[in-house]
Amino acid sequence: MPAYPALDTTTLSRRRLLQLLGLGAGTLTLAACVPEAGPAAPQAASTAAAGARTDFSFASWSLTEETAAPAIRELLGQYADANDVKVREVSYPYNEYISQLTLQVKGGQVTGAVHVDVAWLGSLAALGKLQDLGPLAQGADYTQAGLTAAQFDGVQYGLPWNIGAIGLIANSGLLEQAGIGEAPATIDEFEAALKDLKKLGGGVVPYAASTKAAQLKDVLIWMETFGSPLLDGGKVTIGDDASVEAVTWYKSLYDQGLIAADVDRFDARSLFAQGRAAIYDDAIVGRDAVVSDSPDKKLADKLTAWSRPVLAAGDTPRALVWGGALAVVQGDGAETAADFAKWMTSDVEVAKQYFAARGLPPATESALALPEVADDAFGAQFAERITATATTNPFWVYPQYAQIETVIAEQVQAVLVGSAEPKAAMEKAGAAAQKLVD
Amino acid sequence: MSASQFETLQHTNSHSPPRRLTDGQFALLLLLPGGALLLGVVLYPLVAALVTAFFEQSLVVPGRTFVGLANIVDVLTGDFPRLLGQTLVFTVGTTVFPFVIGFALALALNTRIRGAKVLRGLMLIPWLVPGVVVSFLWMWIFNANYGVLNALLETLGLIDGPVAWLAQPGTAMTAVVVAKTWQSFPWMMVMLLAGLQTVPRELHEAAEMDGAGTVRRFFSITLPQVKGIVGLVLLLELIWNFQHFDIIYVLTGGGPAGATQTFATAVYETAFHGFDLGRAGALGLLWMVLLMGLVVVYIRFSEKGEGK
Amino acid sequence: MSALTPTRTPAHRPPASPDSPAPVRRVRRGALRSERRGVRISAWAAVVVCGGFALLPVYWLLATSLTPREQVFAYPPRLFPATPTLDAFAALAGNEQLFVYLRNSLLVSVLTAVLSVLVSAYMGYSFSKFRYRGRRSLMYFVLASQMFPQALLLVTLYSLFSAYGLLNTYTALVLSFTTFTLPLCVWMLKGFFDTIPDELIEAARVDGASRLRIIHAIVLPLSAPGLIAAGLFAFVRGWNDFIFALTLAGPEKQTLPPGLVNTFVGEASTAWPELMAASLVVSLPVAIAFIALQKYLVGGLTAGAVKG
Repeated sequence: MPAYPALDTTTLSRRRLLQLLGLGAGTLTLAACVPEAGPAAPQAASTAAAGARTDFSFASWSLTEETAAPAIRELLGQYADANDVKVREVSYPYNEYISQLTLQVKGGQVTGAVHVDVAWLGSLAALGKLQDLGPLAQGADYTQAGLTAAQFDGVQYGLPWNIGAIGLIANSGLLEQAGIGEAPATIDEFEAALKDLKKLGGGVVPYAASTKAAQLKDVLIWMETFGSPLLDGGKVTIGDDASVEAVTWYKSLYDQGLIAADVDRFDARSLFAQGRAAIYDDAIVGRDAVVSDSPDKKLADKLTAWSRPVLAAGDTPRALVWGGALAVVQGDGAETAADFAKWMTSDVEVAKQYFAARGLPPATESALALPEVADDAFGAQFAERITATATTNPFWVYPQYAQIETVIAEQVQAVLVGSAEPKAAMEKAGAAAQKLVD
Repeated sequence: MSASQFETLQHTNSHSPPRRLTDGQFALLLLLPGGALLLGVVLYPLVAALVTAFFEQSLVVPGRTFVGLANIVDVLTGDFPRLLGQTLVFTVGTTVFPFVIGFALALALNTRIRGAKVLRGLMLIPWLVPGVVVSFLWMWIFNANYGVLNALLETLGLIDGPVAWLAQPGTAMTAVVVAKTWQSFPWMMVMLLAGLQTVPRELHEAAEMDGAGTVRRFFSITLPQVKGIVGLVLLLELIWNFQHFDIIYVLTGGGPAGATQTFATAVYETAFHGFDLGRAGALGLLWMVLLMGLVVVYIRFSEKGEGK
Repeated sequence: MSALTPTRTPAHRPPASPDSPAPVRRVRRGALRSERRGVRISAWAAVVVCGGFALLPVYWLLATSLTPREQVFAYPPRLFPATPTLDAFAALAGNEQLFVYLRNSLLVSVLTAVLSVLVSAYMGYSFSKFRYRGRRSLMYFVLASQMFPQALLLVTLYSLFSAYGLLNTYTALVLSFTTFTLPLCVWMLKGFFDTIPDELIEAARVDGASRLRIIHAIVLPLSAPGLIAAGLFAFVRGWNDFIFALTLAGPEKQTLPPGLVNTFVGEASTAWPELMAASLVVSLPVAIAFIALQKYLVGGLTAGAVKG
């Protein structure tokens, strides 16, 4: 199990960390606009699962990831033993997860507890099979930020498990070699830093940004950084000047070899772990994967979180909320599954154990107050520089979110590989997304 | 079952069949299991899928609305020309290259070279590997950052820096075709070799006495003799490759930017990731129309050939 | 009952025996005079070039599976692992989920093979030995059914199986795979049955054997090589399938190909040795079975074409 030593550069107090997470909550506002075809009124889960415990299933993409699976299995086992039930595991890799899970839930093959990316709550809720966990959430000290992130259309469909954000993670060792002292504040400085990193040679990819379709959604946050709201009162703004500018810039990084072709989150982690990439986009969940896979035993000490550079000095850095929540699908075993979901997300002992294994920020006040959590300097740094200003993606409120993301990603990719011009491609992407939104 | 019943059965079985079905009825009875399967798994789903082309329908949300030709127009004015082109490039490429390699190998192994049997066994390996494994292997070989192909080409001085084979439209299609070629040439080789071995050696001997050279004998004796099997393997490969899915889906997922998308992967993506059944049906409908066209051309062509 | 015992009269020769890949005269393997250096050299050239293309990737599969994890990302990669290790295979042995996939794959493939042989034997026999109206059209339909895009059929099959509660069952997989093997299996077996003389069947009938008994006791045993070929083909269809298993079989019933994708794809960027080791293990059983039985398959497939 990897240990996360304190960074000697920044040592944040526990109080400060909590404040920052609270700050994040302030910006966690879901867009007011909600599509007309709302989900059927969900059935409230019983607050106290009074009946006998039953077998249930638990779906999670993390079960396919070898750095994550053992810790989760361990907890599943503990719950199963304590309650004398069997837990059936369901897993699909992250990139396939939401479409497979949708089909399985729709067909009634998966009921019980499901691990969801908060981005997917809208899509899943639209199937009308998620339980309202609102009553269940009461009595646990989830952070307000967490609760908000795990809501959709005002209903508490998920219990927050690990809520954070996606931001830039850099390897301070490579930064030093390239003579980069401070984190670049603006996009121009950022690009200059990438050029310095490029000079290191040795096949180092300065910024392992996503260029494969699967995670090209990362480009959306750059569009927002360039000033495009993405969505304005039900109107998709992709295709406006800011979004075109962002994609043009992305393409120029690609052409200069400052970002690499054929990279998704997993490739980026692998490049970063090998010391072949200096910067990449990830949530804190990636720390575990890069550290345990790296030949560089000191990589954990070299991780640095960067605020995303801004267009003009003084702008607020953008970051995307990213987190996992546990939702409960109605049907067999749902009652026990709900109890399990609450245990998994709010039990302090569980949080302690899970944090020790994976270093993910928990979502309850009491767990955040644990000394080991508060002393995690990288976690604190990440919270301060990234999570603090994180916002949700405006498209999340649409059940067709996954498809919206896909049509945009495909057009951005067409620009990257040179088969389309930024302006035309973004207008096309905007039109396609608009069609899905309407 | 009592003993007497058993005897009766025995009796009827060996002497007078229990029910006097006519031959025709019996023949139809034999068709029943297979026919039911074809009806339930092929014919009905096909028709039902084609019908969705005229509806707006989601895989996950119940209900549908009739939209006439909207989906079809949408597909025709959208992806269709590109998909058609890419499907054809893939189909033709993955039929021609394995055929050339397979035929060359079959001819080579049909001569008396030492170890032909062992070689034939070894060459079969790529064909025996499941499609997803083929994809994994070539994904690793073509890997932009750690791939062995880049390393080899760099060592040979053929490229300056690593090439992202799977991330550029042109090279991605080539990569997919190479991977599929690698998988299918052994089967072509085996079939063609079997065909070649049916060519009576006496014919060659006689021709040689008449002074015919190797090349001439190939065209005047070998080729006409194996024409049937050549036609068969080409036709089967065309049919299979036209709807091939695994290797493309796992190797490139149809990317980058849809550059390796074919009808098969596009229909799947549209239905199971986009959940848009209407559009998937429209794609399928156009695909079927196209196939029918090809079949008609083929029948015309082969009838003409027979007429001669 | 002596007339019912399958006898091999000179008039009846089984269409293919292990020694002769196709129902043809075995050709004498004497060298032609002209198979001199030129031909030999070009034969060897073809073998070396194509053989390299066939086998180098296999070598790379093996080499990667033996490379320790830390070394797999070295660039340029070492053509031979510096410190070969079986760690990747050991890691597989500890992965229970892979054994579940393996069991599912075996179960589904074997059931598919059995059902497919049975159903296609009845159908093929009907087509071969009876004459009735619409026979030819039906035969063409069966053959043509393999042209229909399976990705498209899947769209409706998914909803259909879902409606009948057959999603995530072996039944859904076996029924679909069996249907898709029918065209080729029926066609192969019909070819075999055609070579069984009508007199033999007539004689059995005169002896009072029922029509079903004739099929089971006479025709099928005589066509054993064809049945093996058809069964093998059907087995491989089930073993290699990706798209149907991915979509119709839930997490518990998933077979190896989608199982491997689910286990390794997200992680593929790190777990290359394990992925290659798993690929190797998955490919082995089929490869061995095939190399042992390939003669039957080739015999079965070429039977029709060579004659025609």
